[in-house]
Amino acid sequence: MTQLSIPFERHRLDNGLKVVLAPDRTVPVVATNLWYGVGSRNEPEGMTGFAHLFEHMMFQGSAHVPKNRHFELIERVGGTLNATTWFDRTNYFETVPSHELDLTLWLESDRMGWMLPAMDQGKLDNQRDVVKNEKLQRYDNQPYGDWSERLQKLVFPENHPYHHTVIGSMEDIDAATLDDVASFFRTFYVPNNAVLTLAGDIDPAKALEQVKRYFGDIEPGGEIPALPGEPNIPALIGETRRDHVVADVPLPRVIMGFRTPSYASADFAVAEVAQSLLGSGRASRLYRRLVRERRIAKGVVTYVYPLLSGASMLLVWATGYPGTDPADLEKAISEELADLANAQQSEIDRAIALVETDLVRSMERVAERADLLSMFDLFFDDPGRLNTELDRLRAVGLDQIHAFTHERLGEDNRAVVVFEPENGR
Amino acid sequence: MSMLDRTAPPQSGTLRNFDFPSVDRSSLPTGLDLRVARMNRLPMVSLNLFMRAGEAALGRDVGGLAVLTADALEGGTRKRSGSELAEALERIGARVSGSGGWEGTSIGLSCLAERLPEALGLLSEMLLEPAFPDDEVERAREQQLASIRQRAMDPGALATDVARRHYFAPDVPYARAVDGSVASIEGVTPGAMRGYVDANYRPGGGGLVVVGDVDSGEVRAMVDEHLGGFTGVPATATSFESEPASRDRKVWIVHRPGAVQSEIRVGHVGAPRSIPDYYPLSIANMVLGGMFTSRLNLNLREENGFTYGVRSRFAFRTQAGPFQVSTAVGNDVTADAVREIMHEVDKMASGGPTEDEVAAARDYAAGVFGLQLETAGQVATRVSQLVVYGLPDDHYDRYRDVVRAVTRDEAAEAAAKHMRPNEAQIIVVGDADVVGDPLRALGLGPVEVVES
Repeated sequence: MTQLSIPFERHRLDNGLKVVLAPDRTVPVVATNLWYGVGSRNEPEGMTGFAHLFEHMMFQGSAHVPKNRHFELIERVGGTLNATTWFDRTNYFETVPSHELDLTLWLESDRMGWMLPAMDQGKLDNQRDVVKNEKLQRYDNQPYGDWSERLQKLVFPENHPYHHTVIGSMEDIDAATLDDVASFFRTFYVPNNAVLTLAGDIDPAKALEQVKRYFGDIEPGGEIPALPGEPNIPALIGETRRDHVVADVPLPRVIMGFRTPSYASADFAVAEVAQSLLGSGRASRLYRRLVRERRIAKGVVTYVYPLLSGASMLLVWATGYPGTDPADLEKAISEELADLANAQQSEIDRAIALVETDLVRSMERVAERADLLSMFDLFFDDPGRLNTELDRLRAVGLDQIHAFTHERLGEDNRAVVVFEPENGR
Repeated sequence: MSMLDRTAPPQSGTLRNFDFPSVDRSSLPTGLDLRVARMNRLPMVSLNLFMRAGEAALGRDVGGLAVLTADALEGGTRKRSGSELAEALERIGARVSGSGGWEGTSIGLSCLAERLPEALGLLSEMLLEPAFPDDEVERAREQQLASIRQRAMDPGALATDVARRHYFAPDVPYARAVDGSVASIEGVTPGAMRGYVDANYRPGGGGLVVVGDVDSGEVRAMVDEHLGGFTGVPATATSFESEPASRDRKVWIVHRPGAVQSEIRVGHVGAPRSIPDYYPLSIANMVLGGMFTSRLNLNLREENGFTYGVRSRFAFRTQAGPFQVSTAVGNDVTADAVREIMHEVDKMASGGPTEDEVAAARDYAAGVFGLQLETAGQVATRVSQLVVYGLPDDHYDRYRDVVRAVTRDEAAEAAAKHMRPNEAQIIVVGDADVVGDPLRALGLGPVEVVES
């Protein structure tokens, strides 16, 4: 049985910035990873999509870094970089040869401390266009592209922070102003709402001095405001909610969402293991039964969202064949979900074995280490959770899987989005 | 704390050198070329078996056979059904996948190092005793047919599929989809798969790469035990030249009424991996569209906001694959985007990159190389490339020096030779009623509208 023991140390600067240092000097590479505690859940009505648009603006320069310089400098040293926005957080990251650590600290600290002087209307208009094209390319011009929007609406009520998507609406993106950028920056992009992790080829004592040098004089912000809307919702949806879409899609697809305990809950591990039994790997229940044996589905996907606010969501989807009746597909999925109440211990063992290999494999990359350490520190104030992650999953018992099946996967806790090809079957 | 000068980027620290892991290579009596590299940071191992069973050797009528056969390997062996095989692999946390491509078929395996003996035993079963039961083959076929249907309705995939038909002459394999057509897939039988495996799943010309927390002697012993029966040479590949479909520039609009965006592909027949100016051309392409700060991306995205992203790429294969610029843009700026793409390709072909641009691209290529040697999987992939393209054993030891030696003039010369904007085929998948007239007004050549 593998036990992870990724070494790390934690610090906190006077301005509230959390710092995690995880040395591993095998390869001369360092990952700089910064998580801000802000995501689409923090967007009030009328500002959907803003957290993501703001992430784009973070690459438009800061007081000492002209537009495009950030990319140029990192690419010039052979580094890679990106950022992503999600429900509960936004992360920014670079991986560079370790002798270029200062460069990443300079770039990240400049935009954490001095982003606003570089903002102007032209940049906002430009990135608004880029984001609108991103929405067109990834959602609007894609078959099934609006599935997530439809599903979230069914699983989370209107005033819940997860009711709307991360990409948001075109109208709200159009309405964003430079004042919004400034106010969002001052509220959320403050050191006391962030975790900075350095993983890889570092000397921790020296790295801490470097971090203090670049980030130490950034002023702390105020308290982070409470989430808009009402995160606390009933444990169950209460019924089966449906959205039947007849659209220009190639194949029928049935997508189901179930409300689960939040990522912050101890019971979340049960949802993770249940998800694995259902859909992770080719020996999983849905793959074996629906794809291999019954051949009613071309493919299946299961996923459990690690969401913090009030509740989270387990996702199951199956794509049929050209002739498949979506109703038959839905029925087949339902049967397998109910049958999870008959799961065996050997299935849990298999799921854990896969999770174990995947987690160890992900530790090969310092970028992945850094990302997980940042997440665990930001979400749970405990980066050490990385090393106990497997224990948490191994502790899930068969009886818990059975109980989860009864309590969470029934018809009283279900959202179903069906896509049916419009040209008939 | 000393006052920090934020006005300029910090100085670089001292470069710590890092060598490509040393590879222990042996030619086995069976004909297998075994390459083992030790990386023991974590108790993992990645294995990649490459065989010269590629789609480039298959005619249009049997296109997709190599891909489909590799997919169907999970369908079971003479000793166990597909479900039992999956169970046996996943119980030990092993992930195995077969994939067919133009050059050959690869079987990848990743697991904890302590599980390698068991996993290799299972892999050997899949390789030497595949069963291809009727229902599993039928499933692989149905899945592939459904994928073809999905691709036809995905604007991006459709654009890429249509584009290659206009780049390559009809009898060039690269003109077709690597995984075949409805007609060729429908004809694939379990017998055809067995015959294909028997003739082509052979070690000759391929190689087995094992990277991770392993000892080369122990790997050799495991291979002797499990792959002793893996012998012979694949049926020889047919050779071909990558001829273009046409040398006259033309615009093709694939009409999708009501489309909210246009998928754009601009390209022509590129160059094979073996060209002497591979590095200069790679550098020129990085400046054109191979990095975030490339000319195309800075123009179309950061200046004009036409797109979420744009890139250009040479697909270097044994024979010349496509050179292609790809992007997706809003309807109203479709013609503007095509004009800017042509402008940038023209400019690169006629004037080449600047000294500064070449320096930046060289630094990027040399630097990022070191970043991609972190994992056993990354190193295994790199070593496999040596096998696929017949590159010398010291290729990666010299890589950074060779890249850093590329000059501006060499890059400019390579761009002028291999980028030929006057021969470009321009494919736009979008609403012809909206984008047609503005595209015609560009005067780039004849414009033909085809139904999707």
